[in-house]
Amino acid sequence: MPKARPEQSVFEFLTYPQVGGDDWAYMSQSAQVRTLEMQLLSRTVLMDMANAPDFSAAVASLAAGEYALPQGSARFEDVQTVLLEKRANVRELFADWMLDAAVVALFKSRHDFANLRLALRRTLTDRPFGADYSEEGNMPPELIEHVLEEENYDLFPPYMRRATEQAVLGYYQNKDIRQIDYAIDQVEADHKLAEAARIESVFLLNLFRIQVDLTNIRTMLRLRFADAQHRQGLLAGGFVELERFRQGLELGSEALGQLFFATPYHRIVDAGVAYLTSSQSFLKVEQLCDEYLIGFLRSTGQVTAGPQVIVAYLLMKEHEIRTVRLILTAKKNLLDTKLILDRVA
Amino acid sequence: MISNVSATRMALLSLRKRVALASRGHRLLSEKRDEISRQLIKIARDIQPLRRQVESELSQTFRRFMLARASMEPEHVTAALAVPTKKFSMAMEFASVMNVKVPHLLKDIEGEIICYGYATTSGEMDVALLSLERAFDLLIELAEKEKQARLLAVELQMTRRRVNVLEHVVIPEIHETIRYIHDKLSEAERDNTSRLMKITDIIRK
Repeated sequence: MPKARPEQSVFEFLTYPQVGGDDWAYMSQSAQVRTLEMQLLSRTVLMDMANAPDFSAAVASLAAGEYALPQGSARFEDVQTVLLEKRANVRELFADWMLDAAVVALFKSRHDFANLRLALRRTLTDRPFGADYSEEGNMPPELIEHVLEEENYDLFPPYMRRATEQAVLGYYQNKDIRQIDYAIDQVEADHKLAEAARIESVFLLNLFRIQVDLTNIRTMLRLRFADAQHRQGLLAGGFVELERFRQGLELGSEALGQLFFATPYHRIVDAGVAYLTSSQSFLKVEQLCDEYLIGFLRSTGQVTAGPQVIVAYLLMKEHEIRTVRLILTAKKNLLDTKLILDRVA
Repeated sequence: MISNVSATRMALLSLRKRVALASRGHRLLSEKRDEISRQLIKIARDIQPLRRQVESELSQTFRRFMLARASMEPEHVTAALAVPTKKFSMAMEFASVMNVKVPHLLKDIEGEIICYGYATTSGEMDVALLSLERAFDLLIELAEKEKQARLLAVELQMTRRRVNVLEHVVIPEIHETIRYIHDKLSEAERDNTSRLMKITDIIRK
């Protein structure tokens, strides 16, 4: 892994932070990824899908690529199955290619946190444990069930234990179910940042810090929209200091752009707030957040070989799968094309 | 009616009482019919914009929810909505409108509708749920008014049928029977008079 330099501040880069240097151990894997990157759906295909007159036509525009359905089949369930298969495949490929097991475990921990969130919500509110958990994490769901039943959190790895303890503590303070999510989200962000620092990956560190910032921007706007006071929803650890987001909760909409002017996110905030005010919708801000993250991932193009290339491919592929699902869902439910374009364009 | 009647003065008196009662009933039922119609029109006028508003809110909820669900990972959607925090209970009271028991719905809603954290969920989910929350109140009001309208419409139909039966069947039939009895009694009276005159003639001769 390329060694991390001391942490950059938000004022030290104009658009995207640094992605780190080359790691020639990943030469073969990077070459394979570069080939696969050429198969990612182009903007033209996505626009064709969005502008298709109906669901069948949108599915038909995928026929030439890897998302092609079996002949004659154009049911939404089939599409959903194909998309889930593709997502599982790309995650398997990622695990195969990545030489650093810690990075694979780090990305798998996303599923552990998702499983833990669902399991804790059900356990703490005395609901049945259920069977709809992801099998792609580091910990099997049965083990999570066993640990929560026994209330012996020592059997969890440290990040899961910390998340569980803080979530339980948060929940019992005022029996607010959202405290579970806030605690898990913060521990997840801390865990990712700490692991990225431990394996000394400047790319992962910057990636996770950007993700925290983008989450905070969305959270700030959502808190303002719902007129909610849940400031615990803001996550620490991003490039932008928490105080700026707290200030953003107090200010009027017109002052938000100015507040974030010195950060690389000012365009997201400006355009997102304008769209939110005019359309009462988060489509634009979510689209701009995705666009910014994808822009950062694309900047790994300057790296010839390295783990950054593989991580970027995994995240871009997951984003592509989500976009395809979004367009097809919208087409299936006869939603307005403008809404789709606002979200994906 | 006529075939079963015995043409007696007692029957005539009884029928006259019945026709007076039926006319009074007819008048009262007509008034009831007019009042129910008035109430029904008033409710129908309220329902129309309310229904439009509810449909628009629900369609927005549906649209937003679809977008949110599609842009989130399926496991995050499951986790976010697995444990709802909004509690909803409803009781029903009955009020009387023109002797029709119409329901009045009393709702008890507590808790916040947004029941998840922000990191793994879409803002469109918030918009969908807040829109659904707004639609709740309107939806209950609409349900109440539509039920009232339905009950009043049934009552109106029944009342109109009663008024029509009284107006076009019962009262005319009683009048006809009265006329029949009256004719019969008059005929009997004339028979009697002519018989007496005949007897008088015979005695005089």
